[in-house]
Amino acid sequence: MDPSWLPKLLALAWLTPLASFVLILFFGKHMGSHGKGAGLLATTAIVFSAVCSFTALFGVWLPNHPLQDASHHSAQHEEVDSHAGVSVPIRLVAAEAEGYGHAGHATGEHGEHANNAAPKYITADWYELGVFGKLKLTIGYYIDALTVAMFCMVSLIASCVHIYALGYMHDELHDFTDPEVTLTSGENLKRPGRYYRFFQYLSLFCFSMFGIVIAGNIAMVFVFWELVGICSYFLIGFYIERKSASTAANKAFIVNRVGDFGMLIGLMALWSSLGTFSFGDMTNEQGEVTEQGMFSLLRTEENDYHLQPTAGMVFEGDRFPECNCATGGSGDTASAGEASGSGELHAKPPTKNHAGQWLLLVAGVGIFCGCVGKSAQFPLLTWLPDAMEGPTPVSALVHSATMVAAGVYLVGRFFPVLSPEALLVIAYTGCITLFVAATIAITATDIKRVLAYSTISQLGYMMLALGLGGWIAGMFHLITHAFFKSLLFMCSGSVIHGVHTNDMTEMGGLRKKMPITAYTMLVGCLAIIGAGVPLMGIGFSGYYSKDAIIEQAFSFGVSNPRHWILQWAPVAGAFITAFYMFRLWYMTFAGKPRNQERYDHAHESPRVMTAPLVLLAVFALGVGWAFPGTNLKVTNLLEQARPVGTLVTSHGELLPALVIPNEHDAHNFLVPAGLWAFGTAASGLLLATMIYLWDFGLRPEELKRTFKPLHSWLWNKWYFDEIYEWIFIKPTKMFSGWISWIDRNIFDSIIHSSAAICKGGSKVVDAIVDRTLVDGTVNTLARGTWDTGLWLRKIQTGSLRQYVMFIAAGTILLFVAISFVQNI
Amino acid sequence: MDAIYWPSFFFLLFSFIACAFALGVLLAKNIVRMAFYLVLSLSSTAGLFFLAGADFVGAMQLMIYVGGTLVLLIFGVMLTSQERFIEMRTSSGEWVVAFFIGLMLFFTLGKAAFGVAAWSGLDRETAEAVQVEQTVTPLAMGLLGARVDKLDEPDAAKQEGMAGYLFQFEIVSVHLLVVLVGAAYLARAKRKASGASAGGS
Amino acid sequence: MNPIIANLLTEPVGVSHYVVVGAFMFTCGVLCMATKRNALGILMGIEMVLNGANLNFIAFGSRYLRNDANSLGLDGQLISLFVIVLAAAEAAVALAIVLNFYNNTGSIDVDGADQLRG
Repeated sequence: MDPSWLPKLLALAWLTPLASFVLILFFGKHMGSHGKGAGLLATTAIVFSAVCSFTALFGVWLPNHPLQDASHHSAQHEEVDSHAGVSVPIRLVAAEAEGYGHAGHATGEHGEHANNAAPKYITADWYELGVFGKLKLTIGYYIDALTVAMFCMVSLIASCVHIYALGYMHDELHDFTDPEVTLTSGENLKRPGRYYRFFQYLSLFCFSMFGIVIAGNIAMVFVFWELVGICSYFLIGFYIERKSASTAANKAFIVNRVGDFGMLIGLMALWSSLGTFSFGDMTNEQGEVTEQGMFSLLRTEENDYHLQPTAGMVFEGDRFPECNCATGGSGDTASAGEASGSGELHAKPPTKNHAGQWLLLVAGVGIFCGCVGKSAQFPLLTWLPDAMEGPTPVSALVHSATMVAAGVYLVGRFFPVLSPEALLVIAYTGCITLFVAATIAITATDIKRVLAYSTISQLGYMMLALGLGGWIAGMFHLITHAFFKSLLFMCSGSVIHGVHTNDMTEMGGLRKKMPITAYTMLVGCLAIIGAGVPLMGIGFSGYYSKDAIIEQAFSFGVSNPRHWILQWAPVAGAFITAFYMFRLWYMTFAGKPRNQERYDHAHESPRVMTAPLVLLAVFALGVGWAFPGTNLKVTNLLEQARPVGTLVTSHGELLPALVIPNEHDAHNFLVPAGLWAFGTAASGLLLATMIYLWDFGLRPEELKRTFKPLHSWLWNKWYFDEIYEWIFIKPTKMFSGWISWIDRNIFDSIIHSSAAICKGGSKVVDAIVDRTLVDGTVNTLARGTWDTGLWLRKIQTGSLRQYVMFIAAGTILLFVAISFVQNI
Repeated sequence: MDAIYWPSFFFLLFSFIACAFALGVLLAKNIVRMAFYLVLSLSSTAGLFFLAGADFVGAMQLMIYVGGTLVLLIFGVMLTSQERFIEMRTSSGEWVVAFFIGLMLFFTLGKAAFGVAAWSGLDRETAEAVQVEQTVTPLAMGLLGARVDKLDEPDAAKQEGMAGYLFQFEIVSVHLLVVLVGAAYLARAKRKASGASAGGS
Repeated sequence: MNPIIANLLTEPVGVSHYVVVGAFMFTCGVLCMATKRNALGILMGIEMVLNGANLNFIAFGSRYLRNDANSLGLDGQLISLFVIVLAAAEAAVALAIVLNFYNNTGSIDVDGADQLRG
């Protein structure tokens, strides 16, 4: 089909869920008993979207853009080709004109360091919301291979989740008695079922998620970004009568606001310096560029697609003398010619534009802040585990596969704008997240929370991969992870449906009762730990993507020895991942039943729930493979969407020592990375097997007792919630208390005499300065000394063997400290 | 393919035996087995000493360590051998911690071992050219205060440290005497305590 | 054959190899001290630690492993002789302490000897 069908098909896929939402919103109650028809309607709508998406991929995109075998990114090839072989297929961009945005010309000889132009894309505006001076807000589309791939992934998973939810939510078809809500009369809450409303929110969510993916400018992304946020809020708070659910919904919403604040700053920084929101270049019918997008403004063809701040990105004082030039530059016809011209004007080379680099860093980190909130990265990771209060299909769709991955998607989409320093920030955030979340997952016993922490950890992997320059690795992991994580969540939902509890300590031996769930979940576990044959290139889907990430990490670690931690964190993460995933599987499905009553009542879920499991298990197994006999596979499709200017190694401007290696060099590390990944995953699996399956003398209870402090540290989730309570919530409350105190005393007692105010003032001085400050300092010091003494007393155990252990650990620490001092 | 350099072969053999039985001592649960493994480990260490050219020290290792110290240890085992002390279980947590700490310790030490270029060994010709010498006489002279092995030291700065070990030798001798007296005093059975001890030796 | 193993067999070993063996014995000894509850097991751990250290001294002093001016020479052997002698003395005293402990408490479990805990 003609490429012009592409936007129409995808728009159809995008708008069908909206239609379903509107219909259910107005007529949901009347669709069968308790809205049974609403579920069918929403499911039909999303399946139709899936059909449209796959038609767009196989019917329009692939026939027009045949895949090239980018062999560098398949784990099956051990030899490393010359780089030239790869740059050719990517730059086929140039020629095919009509309907496409402006794309760079192939610049002569494809040497080893030739950079890549923008990928093939189609972009245009559908509707203009308004023009305010230079500010133009539009609804538009930007479609490249990544968009199409995301559409297929989201619609496929959403279809599976809808079908699954038809069975899972059947409780809501009649009056529902909520066992977790007790009224003051002592009875459980009884309320009408809300079957139709669930599907109404799901449809709205699908519409919003498609909106993020198809959006042609960052302002539109922001609108849909907030829309998925509100859908997430509705769905987490679906059981609104439960206190925990409504709190969790509020928490998710508020925590996301924190990130969105940073995102707004990033948006303003970008708009004020570039003057446009759109990603790609707008063209008219003749194929001429009418308006440049931010990617081509920042990575000009003249500069060989290297990131370079535009002429508008200078210090305020530098901007005014050439004001007209700068406004022209950030307007419609900016070009690097003007940029270099203004550079000459100031007699400084354009690459030394430090103000511009700082501005880019602010923009990049600002946009990333939004992604931190949405993807539950390091400082803002606390909302996602609580979001598990929502029904399980929601967890599978919104909080593992799609919405939380939108943050990663946005970083991937924004990749050309991110400077190496911003990437380093992203990499460190991802690194901390993946480690922290993985360690928390070790001790969690709520089956959904384990999966939630696992999701956070895997999102950290993706962020890390993107931050290290591994665009394909990160995006590929996004897609494989979506399949196996939604599979894992739906399996856990099936288990919860069968045994009516989330607590793994009450499960065990369920393998015999629910075989389909157990073995599809096993497939999911093997996929997430990246099981495969090392160096052979055969494995579950996670094997390909995780190996790609670790290869990129090794490549980065070799170029930047100072950031060695970024190299080893994913390796350590692989070990922990394997451990906690199989801990989950063994505790749930293997061994002996821990609660005989629940075991006796357990049953396999109905077919409407197991069928999507099997389908997703097939994808979790094979989504990394090439379609038999062709070169049709996800990495090749993603390669077509490789962002402009990422084919060469880039160097930091603000941190000159920083090197972001290009992704093809990662293949030099195929063997060590593959062996490390396999070794760590295998040992993690072995350790879990030794502790939870075999009776090897290593007993979980005994370990828990020995590592009591460590266990409670992890059990309390690194005390994140408590820390936030102390740092943010308590001071805010205290501050508002003060404010209200001032309020009452100023406005209510305005008629009081000054003597009373004086008296009150002296009381305040007494309370604050004397009691709190003076007494408080002394008391705190005394208490601190006392507590330290008590704590130190615990170290003095009197146990000879423990002292030996301390000595050995001290020696090691001394060695490590010395090696650090020597390196400096 | 060069011919096998036999000292290296014996080094591998002895070090393998020494390491394997050291690991045996660590992992064995039975105290009697541990003592036996320790004998084997220390004996093959003596072999390593011989290979490094320290014939007298190797002999002393066999005589004092294997012959004396270990017999002493085995006496201890026999004196305190009761059913409940033969095997004592350590908790899993401690094993896991010990495993990780040991791994890190070995890694650190091993990294240090290969960190100095001059430690990597001689080439074959140089090693074969080294003259075999008995070390008993120079050692004995050193203990008596005369360093016959350093008579022709050209470096004036190093001649300072050429004094023998007579003084230290005396100190150690007296120390040994004191220790033995002290040990005898400590180990003698006390009348009043023996009643409380459950089924003593 | 693997070239590394072949090299080990056809070339003389160096100080590094001895130090690695010493490090292994040392680590085993430390772990022995850290995990055995039997007081005699701890003594055996100490013996292994001392033995690992001795191995290093011998290696640093050996002319077959490193024949240059920085070698310890005969000093290494003398030091290790002292170590052996002191180890014997230490074993005698330690054994006396263990026997005394055994006489007093009827047990040689070192976990029982925690009167010094804070």
